Amino acid sequence: MTLLTTMMERPLDAGYQEATDRRIAAGLPGATSTRTVLVVVLAILIGFLFAVAAQSLRPKPTAAAAVKKELVTRIEALQKHGSAQESKVAALGRQVRDYEALALKQSGGTDLSGTIKALEVQAGAVPLTGPGLTLTLDDAASTDTDADAGSRPSSGFQEGRVTSGDLQIVVNGLWGAGAEAISINGHRLSSTAAIRFAGQAIIVDFRPLSRPYVITALGSPQGMQQLFEPSFAGLYLSQLTDEYKIRSILAGSDSLTVPGDPAARLEVAQPVGPPVGSTAPGTTTPRPGTSAPKRSASAGDAPTATSMATNGAPSKASSGATGAGTGSPASPTSEENPS
Amino acid sequence: MIPVLGLMAGLAVGLFLDPSVPVWLQPYLPIAVIAALDAVFGAIRAILDGIFNDKVFVVSFLSNVVVAAFIVFLGDQLGVGSQLSTGVVVVLGVRIFSNVASIRRHLFKA
Repeated sequence: MTLLTTMMERPLDAGYQEATDRRIAAGLPGATSTRTVLVVVLAILIGFLFAVAAQSLRPKPTAAAAVKKELVTRIEALQKHGSAQESKVAALGRQVRDYEALALKQSGGTDLSGTIKALEVQAGAVPLTGPGLTLTLDDAASTDTDADAGSRPSSGFQEGRVTSGDLQIVVNGLWGAGAEAISINGHRLSSTAAIRFAGQAIIVDFRPLSRPYVITALGSPQGMQQLFEPSFAGLYLSQLTDEYKIRSILAGSDSLTVPGDPAARLEVAQPVGPPVGSTAPGTTTPRPGTSAPKRSASAGDAPTATSMATNGAPSKASSGATGAGTGSPASPTSEENPS
Repeated sequence: MIPVLGLMAGLAVGLFLDPSVPVWLQPYLPIAVIAALDAVFGAIRAILDGIFNDKVFVVSFLSNVVVAAFIVFLGDQLGVGSQLSTGVVVVLGVRIFSNVASIRRHLFKA
């Protein structure tokens, strides 16, 4: 306690008082001038010390920051590489499809190419265009404020943030409202695509998305809007907007495009029954042209495929697909190409 | 006023030259800054009290810096460097606060 008392009550160096007492005893004025050489030199020294300390102790870009920067550049380079490869895949797929059509024509199985096109549309392998709705979701303007104002399903994170659960509900609502093809931020939702989260990031089809989330759904704009808004998903969305200030804009359009899913590939799953791959172009004698559609009809695919086709969901057959290997249920590629 | 100008000049020189501090000296810099601040505020208080003495000022600054640096050095050698640095910062910080409070009383009579 003595230490604390001394420290608190007499913080000034006792030396000042003693020196003054000595000077007064010697008949001099108590205080010396502040303009002596000693004081000025020390003042300069202290200023110098402050400047040097401030400069050398300022946080510098550390090794960790450098590593992080390098990782970011590497990620960006690899992403660029990946998208380049994707477009290459698309170009090669187009080529494959041309060859396929050529081979089919040469071997007399021309009606198969129509089936393949229908199946590709069904599998989400080709880009589609048509009228539809664009639903733009974005985090609330103040995602960093209000820490704990309530709970909400599927979220342990910040209130105003769009979560993967929100996207799932909205996308399911759009499917339920009659959407025929959906993409999120340019990623086509195929039958194998998943909407998940990793940390705070939303992952669609194993690719992380960043806000805003633009959901493009092809279908009749008026019909879908009428069905979507009173549905559970529509109410959920308006609830999100009301309570958590999540921004959403629903807009219809006459001409929207969803890309094909270049990664659709069935690695393990195989068609039931004898492999349809035996009808692969150029490998065997052409079967009777109707056999393949019948077989896939028995597997439950062809009716929807034909209904899609007759629905007139227009397909841009000339661009952006990966050809025979795109995971259409009757595709033989997963057996032919083990990679 | 002249010492203030000297302080400014020192700041300007330090900012302009931007000397690189050797790594072994860097742990002592924050402590030296705190010690210097303590000496400066002590001197200002002494001026306002009318008992300023230039030799005491210089000696108190030098001894502050040396003792603080020694404590940090000792802490490094003993493996408790950060704790002893904290102790130095706490003691000098309390002194700075009291001195500033006294200066405030002198200047604002409050």
